[in-house]
Amino acid sequence: MILAALLLVTQAAAQDPRLERLDPDTRLAVVAVLDSARDVGLPVESIIQRALEGATKGASGARIVAAVRRLALDLGTARAALGNSASAPDLEAAVAALRAGATPEVLAHLRDVRRPPLTMALSVLADLVASGVPADSAAAAVLALAPKARDADLVEFRRAVERDIALGAPPGAATSVRLNAGALDAISNLGAPNGANNPPRRSRP
Amino acid sequence: MRTLALIGLACGVSVRALGAQVTANVEAGITDVQYDGFLASGAASISPTMRWQHPGGRGFFGARGTYLQFQSGRRSIDGSANGSWFTPLARHWRGELGAAAGASDYANIASFSHGQVDARLHLMDEDRGGWIAATMGRSSFGGGSRPVTVVAVGMWLLRTDKTMFVSVDRSFIGDTAYTDLRSSARWRRARVVLEGVVGARVWSRGGGHGVFGEGSATLALGRQAALVVSAGRYPTDVISGSLAGRYVTAAVRLGRITVRRPVTPVYSGNSRASESHSSPSATDTRLEIETRRDDDVRLTVYAPGATVLEISGDFTDWRPVALSRSPTMADAWVASLRIPRGIHRINVRRDGGPWMAPGGTTRSADDYDGEVGVFILP
Repeated sequence: MILAALLLVTQAAAQDPRLERLDPDTRLAVVAVLDSARDVGLPVESIIQRALEGATKGASGARIVAAVRRLALDLGTARAALGNSASAPDLEAAVAALRAGATPEVLAHLRDVRRPPLTMALSVLADLVASGVPADSAAAAVLALAPKARDADLVEFRRAVERDIALGAPPGAATSVRLNAGALDAISNLGAPNGANNPPRRSRP
Repeated sequence: MRTLALIGLACGVSVRALGAQVTANVEAGITDVQYDGFLASGAASISPTMRWQHPGGRGFFGARGTYLQFQSGRRSIDGSANGSWFTPLARHWRGELGAAAGASDYANIASFSHGQVDARLHLMDEDRGGWIAATMGRSSFGGGSRPVTVVAVGMWLLRTDKTMFVSVDRSFIGDTAYTDLRSSARWRRARVVLEGVVGARVWSRGGGHGVFGEGSATLALGRQAALVVSAGRYPTDVISGSLAGRYVTAAVRLGRITVRRPVTPVYSGNSRASESHSSPSATDTRLEIETRRDDDVRLTVYAPGATVLEISGDFTDWRPVALSRSPTMADAWVASLRIPRGIHRINVRRDGGPWMAPGGTTRSADDYDGEVGVFILP
């Protein structure tokens, strides 16, 4: 029995030498999670990294195993919402959005209205919620922008909301105001006195 | 057009201007102009412009000068400056205090100057809004000056690539009084911007009557150049002393020079969320990320007072990496690493303390009773 356990541990370490930083019991459990994830086609690198993060932070084996199991479950939920073709970064960002409070239905809707990659849109969604915007309002904003906005537009939208919040606006109201205010981007250029309409005005003689 | 700009600022829009705190350009053009009561004339013009905007969207300052050289050999020169400061957004309301001043001179014959202050109250909803405003000041011609008072009200409406507004203002300059009704629209698609304004001057005593309208098309030739064609008729501006006229102008705009502190075009998330926690981490350390060629990334962590600084993240397989002191920036620590594009997690540790999420990242709970910073390399 002991020999068999040692053999399993050796096999686990052989799969990814980085896991040697885990104690043998934890390593076995993590490898089991990795195998399960791999069997269903989930990306395993983020799971490995979650385990290594726990090791660096001195977490107990039980906490590490719980963390990787939870992540694997969330990745599965994310993939069910985004589809089998979803990339690893998209799935990781989707997990962050789910944990922030977005629903799988929102993720699926986002997949329907925006071409991949979805990483930035999902991250902006998670970030809005993290800054205090109600999850449903954040989802509505991102879904409204998603069909046409570029990644850079989404980032700037997020920054604009952040700035309004910093200036004292309630997060939900800031998001709402900003949702369509993106159209005003170009207007800021008009603030330059040298706007497009620059007739040759002349003093009256 | 300034009204549109104010709308943008009032909404705190100018996302692009967030990083671009100072911009400047020069417009050079040729024009055919006929001032009311004068023969048509050709002219060449050059107009430098600069604009500063508060990085937090709280205000702006702009200045512009125009030199006009007429066919006759005479010249006109004018300069103006304006600025505004905005109160924080309170639900749907935002206040604004502004000031403007200018002076002009035509062939050493006529010289005008003016100065004014104004206050506005903006009401903003999702895609529409309005404002009321009051302006007071002085306008002078030669040695004499007259009091200026303007009251105005307006509304604006947004659609994805279009902006429209209507306004009405009543101006009193000494014994002169008039009302301008104005409607403007702006449409933008790809590299082309179309703008137009139509209006009418009514209920006028000494300010002239009639309708006016101007239109322009701007074709961007890149980030630093644009072609501008504009034409129309504009009314007398009694405050600044400009004469009503009609014109056709073709010009080249060069510049849009941006002066700013280099900012990494990396989405590093929500710093405010980071600061909302009570841990000292967010305020004690701040991460800046600079992407270079391929996957080469330079990380700079600002950590005042630290003697040892380490980072750890999924790009180091969560092995601690000690940073080096920056040779050029105080309190800054740097490292160059290969980090692939995508979403990443990072922690920093100062002087052997706990692992923390640095400011400048999206701070979130890790699975180990701590926190982790998240950023994206696009």
